[in-house]
Amino acid sequence: IQAAWNLKTRALTEMVYVDEIDMDQEGIAEMILDENAIAQVARPGTSLKLPGTSQGGGPSPAVRPVTQSGRPITGFVRPSTQSGRPSTMEQAIRTPRTALTARPITSASGGYVRPGTASMITNPDGPFINLSRLNLTKYAQKPKLAKALFEYIFHHENDVKNALDLAALATEHAQFKDWWWKVQIGKCYYRLGLYREAEKQFKSALKQQDMVDTFLYLAKVYLRLDQPVTALNLFKQGLERFPGEVTLICGIARIYEEMNNISSAAEYYKDVLKQDNTHVEAIACIGSNHFYSDQPEIALRFYRRLLQMGVYNCQLFNNLGLCCFYAQQYDMTLSSFERALFLAENEEETADVWYNLGHVAVGIGDLNLAYQCFKLTLVNNNDYAEAYNNLAVLEMRKGHTEQARALLQTASSLAPHMYEPHFNVAILSEKIGDLQRSYTAAQKSEEAFPGHVDTQQLLKQLKEHFAML
Amino acid sequence: MSLFKARDWWSTILGEKEEFDQGCLCVADVDNSGSGQDKVIVGSYKGYLRIFNPHPVKPGDEVQPEDLLLEVQLREPILQVEVGKFVSGTEVLHLAVLHCRKLCVYAVSGTQGNVEHGNQYQIKLMYEHNLQRTACNMTYGPFGGVKGRDLICIQSMDGMLMLFEQESYAFGRFLPGFLLPGPLAYSSRTDSFITVSSCQQVESYKYQVLAFATDADERQDTEQRKLSSGKRLVVDWVLNIGEQALDICVVSFNQGVSSVFVLGERNFFCLKDNGQIRFMKKLDYSPSCFIPYCSVQEGTINTLIANHSKMLNVYQDVTLKWATQLPCIPVSVKVANFQDLKGVIVTLSDDGHLQCSYLGTDPSLFQAPKVDSREINYEEMNAEMKELQKIIREATKTQDILPESEKQRDVTVTAEVSPDLDEESQAIDSEVKAGAVPSITVKITIQSRVAAQKPSLAVCVQAPLAVTCDQFVFDDLEPDSSETVVLSVFLKENCSPPELEGTCIVSYNIPTGIPRVSQCNFSLPLKLVCFPAQPSKAANHKLTIDTNKPPISFVTIFP
Repeated sequence: IQAAWNLKTRALTEMVYVDEIDMDQEGIAEMILDENAIAQVARPGTSLKLPGTSQGGGPSPAVRPVTQSGRPITGFVRPSTQSGRPSTMEQAIRTPRTALTARPITSASGGYVRPGTASMITNPDGPFINLSRLNLTKYAQKPKLAKALFEYIFHHENDVKNALDLAALATEHAQFKDWWWKVQIGKCYYRLGLYREAEKQFKSALKQQDMVDTFLYLAKVYLRLDQPVTALNLFKQGLERFPGEVTLICGIARIYEEMNNISSAAEYYKDVLKQDNTHVEAIACIGSNHFYSDQPEIALRFYRRLLQMGVYNCQLFNNLGLCCFYAQQYDMTLSSFERALFLAENEEETADVWYNLGHVAVGIGDLNLAYQCFKLTLVNNNDYAEAYNNLAVLEMRKGHTEQARALLQTASSLAPHMYEPHFNVAILSEKIGDLQRSYTAAQKSEEAFPGHVDTQQLLKQLKEHFAML
Repeated sequence: MSLFKARDWWSTILGEKEEFDQGCLCVADVDNSGSGQDKVIVGSYKGYLRIFNPHPVKPGDEVQPEDLLLEVQLREPILQVEVGKFVSGTEVLHLAVLHCRKLCVYAVSGTQGNVEHGNQYQIKLMYEHNLQRTACNMTYGPFGGVKGRDLICIQSMDGMLMLFEQESYAFGRFLPGFLLPGPLAYSSRTDSFITVSSCQQVESYKYQVLAFATDADERQDTEQRKLSSGKRLVVDWVLNIGEQALDICVVSFNQGVSSVFVLGERNFFCLKDNGQIRFMKKLDYSPSCFIPYCSVQEGTINTLIANHSKMLNVYQDVTLKWATQLPCIPVSVKVANFQDLKGVIVTLSDDGHLQCSYLGTDPSLFQAPKVDSREINYEEMNAEMKELQKIIREATKTQDILPESEKQRDVTVTAEVSPDLDEESQAIDSEVKAGAVPSITVKITIQSRVAAQKPSLAVCVQAPLAVTCDQFVFDDLEPDSSETVVLSVFLKENCSPPELEGTCIVSYNIPTGIPRVSQCNFSLPLKLVCFPAQPSKAANHKLTIDTNKPPISFVTIFP
């Protein structure tokens, strides 16, 4: 009976298993109530919290759009760095230029409610194991059952507290000699937000037995503690033990990318491809990197490779369409977008496609079409700040200043991290002679993007003006 | 995700609705033809044993009848088939078939016919063992370092290792701390059995230790003896891998080094003889089966790993060398040599799809399904485009995403409260005890600048006030028309109202179907709810108000 019980537990766990390493979304509550903030002002290059701490090589927002957190858009949606729903890796190549501005997740728990969690799948026969009636001490003494039971509680029931209790009892029973239990305790602590405790457990586990997973978990803790440099060192240490481990190299690449060190990131993504040339994430990221460094033809080749490998979704065709357009292969552009529209699964994706089509229309000078495309974008997703901004520019050209101003205001309230709406407001106000408003808007624009030359020129001009008065 | 697909060399589908699993496929020169040409032996859970000799004329040919050398139905389900030197006194290969409660060893032989399809093959039972316990899987090898013959070790469902020295039963041992059977493998270099226990540990037991440990059968007799006599079965080494394993393989391609490969559910491990990790790889897919097959480069070992997303990956140690698509999810994969073709990948799926394939660079280009594209008639398109443009232009005039300013309101509603109370009270059903409940007339006007469809007016006042009629429905309004309604407000319940404000709301649809609302407020006079009364000098209660500001004279308040 124990054997059967064990089997069923394992089967139920396997049904909903999601690799914990990929599972990570920081809820807004966690971001705001972050008790782990140690130094408020991080030194440049040591923190992920200051978006602007790029040490050279990072693209400017004028070239590469940024997400709401002020980071350049990556070519791949993964939890916790972008908005993105927790989706499977392969399906998630995000459109460049249009990273959905991250809508914060409303609560800490929100991030962990994922489609796979069985506590949401109602079981007609009632729950298999009634957790509240379980004698954890008894099970902790049976290592054979305990491990399966733990995974069941953790993955299937999503009950971290009970899981932690069980793990604590079990590791005690194993006389603290089983690294596996330590990793599990660490996982629980991580879920509960006790990062320092988790770090201790993972480190202790690593002392007993080097495992790739443990390295990944520990690095995750460091990232959450906002110590990317430590995480990098850890990854490199892990690579010494497990040379050529793709997940570790990929971890390094992601950190570099988040630290705005795009060239290093690309280097590591290339390393990933040397080890595993079917790695979708690496291909997509290198592709988008080429795209934003003005090499659409090369990016096109990467995206085409993805297509050949069988990635078939809206985002990919979106990217292909844009690459074709910038590589001046106009015949392919529209058909790519046509396919993208055909494949779009939800309105947000449709909005992305229309937005890009609008871009293309602007590029070929068909302003009427562009206008309609941006309108359609907004119909599909009415908080698409970029589209508001572009629509406003079109209105401005038509001379509808009031409309343009309203649109720009919407844009800047939707996406305060974008400098474009502020700058456009500044120009607009300057044109109609409202110098005061122009000046404040220009200042906001400068705040969002300090290196923007046009803004600086405008500010200078305005200051001279004021001085004259 | 791969550019390439496995090139079909020979494939067939076995039986109907038969089930196959990991142990059901074996590749060896089972009929001792001496040509070094492998045969494919497949056993099914329905008890069918089949032996194939694939030799297509050209790759991808259909199966020829003579490819099937033998098909027999055995009475019991076949759990595992293995080929080895299982019969004493001879070194020729024999076929061992594991049933649930029986182990049979057969000799496979063929008689040449005059023509190729005249060849006949048969199996002859050499010996069989009836098992006391239900078997799970088995492994074989030269246990104890014997030369020229293979011994068989069967793992039962309840954790007993049963060892057979060919025709005779040697001994049985219970594995300590057993719960569920895991994969089992024999390492000839260390002369030990390696398995993965339910504790998620790789465990290695020396054959020597097994042989000298307490006999399982005796141990069961009395609890006492179990504790006192004989040695306890001691594990040689243990490695905690923290997950369940799908399969174990022990290989030694170059002399002196042998490696234990363990395919876990999420990771792939290569261990040294002593149980230390040589390398491991985290898999980002869920694997189904694997086989380490050769060492191309000194010091590295190539492995095939198949997964549940129908991919077959070729790794050199941890580096992915090749990835290819398979037509189905294999439960077992082997590498075989046929005719003059070496290294053919043989895969078997759980529903009996048996395929021999090779890796080719012929890309299996993903064909995106066609979006339905019409023959474009430019004139028609142009006309349609113009039509649509016109509609769009119309629409942009009347509506927009941004709300319009107040003065451009399509429909305005105004309420006018008459200065005097009604001469004849309109109050109905009032609960107020006073003689005559006053009422006041409110005139509401709706003015429409555009066509408004289905306009309806709702008037509401706070209880205890009430209106004579609170809902009005009108016919569709023409542009620049107006409607007026008159109603009365009165005090209905016997208490004083908290406020004297009222609201009227008009809801309507504009011609494009978008619902709109406009509203206005009106305020009622105090005299609707209050009577003037004489000031009384002698009161029961008195209220004194002190103020530091100069008070307004009473005359101003009560004129």
